[in-house]
Amino acid sequence: MVVANTLIARDIMSINIRGGASVKRWVWRTQFLFAVVITGCTSRPGLVVFAAASLTDAFNELGDSLRRRDPDLRIQFNFAGSPTLAFQIEQGAMADVFASADERWMSAVQDSGYLAGTPTTFVTNRLVVIVPRSNPGQIERLEDLARHGTRIVLAADRVPAGRYARQVLLNLSQRSGFESNFAQRVLADVVSNESNVRSVATKVQLGEADAGIVYVSDVTPAIAARVRRIDIPDADNVIAHYPLALLRRARHPDAGRSFIGLVLSPEGQRVLTRNGFLPRE
Amino acid sequence: MTLRAVGLRILMSVAVAGLLCLLTLPLMALVVRLSPAAVWHRLGQPGALAALRLSLVTSAAATLAVVLLGLPVAYLLATRDFPGKRLVQAIVELPIVLPPTVAGVGLLLAFGRTGLAGGALHAVGITLPFTTLAVIVAQSFVATPFFISAGLAGLASVEPRYLEVAATLRAGPAYRFFRVMLPLALPSILAGAAMSWARALGEFGATITFAGSLAGRTETMPLAVYDALETDIDSAVALSIVLLVLSFGVLVCLRYAPWAAGIGGSRRAQRPGR
Repeated sequence: MVVANTLIARDIMSINIRGGASVKRWVWRTQFLFAVVITGCTSRPGLVVFAAASLTDAFNELGDSLRRRDPDLRIQFNFAGSPTLAFQIEQGAMADVFASADERWMSAVQDSGYLAGTPTTFVTNRLVVIVPRSNPGQIERLEDLARHGTRIVLAADRVPAGRYARQVLLNLSQRSGFESNFAQRVLADVVSNESNVRSVATKVQLGEADAGIVYVSDVTPAIAARVRRIDIPDADNVIAHYPLALLRRARHPDAGRSFIGLVLSPEGQRVLTRNGFLPRE
Repeated sequence: MTLRAVGLRILMSVAVAGLLCLLTLPLMALVVRLSPAAVWHRLGQPGALAALRLSLVTSAAATLAVVLLGLPVAYLLATRDFPGKRLVQAIVELPIVLPPTVAGVGLLLAFGRTGLAGGALHAVGITLPFTTLAVIVAQSFVATPFFISAGLAGLASVEPRYLEVAATLRAGPAYRFFRVMLPLALPSILAGAAMSWARALGEFGATITFAGSLAGRTETMPLAVYDALETDIDSAVALSIVLLVLSFGVLVCLRYAPWAAGIGGSRRAQRPGR
């Protein structure tokens, strides 16, 4: 709802530039109307955290911990692929904190002038191959991913996890024991480019994909029993750096700062590592 | 004019203006953003062309499937009374109000590899998820009600007397259906098919959930819009304009085409004077 409103508002402004003074007046009136309607639809706002999909479980846990500490605090999470979040922020979505799964989308938001202060790396992550427990594609080793006809699901290459996954495949192509066109052969068998990494985990968990590449932290207790992990050697793995920052348009900067503080605190780091993330180095 | 009448008129104007703004501003915003040349340029790019082609093929196939499978259902609902008829009608209409993502999850759990019917499909060599066929299935699912409701209205509006007369002239049931009923109901059936096609063309949620997203295979235009939004917003707008023009074109044609007499016309005909 918020996003829809801001989309409309921005596009109204682009008409505004083209139109004359009377159009401008009219535009402001309609925008006011929209604002009233939309505000009526949204519930009482609290701290809003936009976070990469891979952070879902860890951040929900941290949110619960914040709520316990301050029962009056309302905290809402918006989990999605980092590019989706960056797009929403740039379109004017109301958010206080942004936690991205890579530096690229954080920089994009920073370059557009939406950050208050500089981003801090708060956690790292690495990738793992998962296959359904029933293993329909009979993937036992990483080499098997290149077998023709394997149904592979990755995150889209604009999504951090998708970019890292492609990097891992390229790294493996350089390895002895792997063919030099390993990455190409695997990518030729990709059947879907998902818009966020959690969708990849879902497709594998449901047994629809033969294999997927996700973050180690995506193998949550909820899905661990339904998938098998095939580890990627550290030398070929990609370490994902997760930055987070307070947003310039934050409505609750203080609550935002205390959330960031919690994430960086020993307690926050414990929760993150318990959820499969690596410390921030 | 009394004060009350003036007040009423003002309230009506505000309501009309408000609703028109809500409906037309987003469309205008899409159209004014890019020059026609820019739209044309972006549509010429390989990704956009692949999505356009895939969308046209899958939506045409879905429409065909919906018409072939939907016509007998519409016929039964229009001409027969049977226990549970209202329930069947509700089931057939459900996809209109069901969130498409829910439809996608349902399709995945039903026709996926490990789904309810997955084993049976696998036995006959069909694996649906992540295929173009899955896109067509998802589109058919959401487009069905639009055809059934229009087709049903058309078939129900055929005067039973004509069929009785045909029967007295020893016309068999097949003859009565194909040579009497179908031609009379054809405008509504075509209108329903056109609406189904437009709905299939715009399908997003069920497709991305059930069929995934892969350029050239399952990435239809709405999915391409969603993808492009995060990387190249102008490409997303160009594709959106095509979808807008096509959907709007269908509706305008239905309103103005002499044979269709509007979808609204067929609704009125839903209560034949029996």
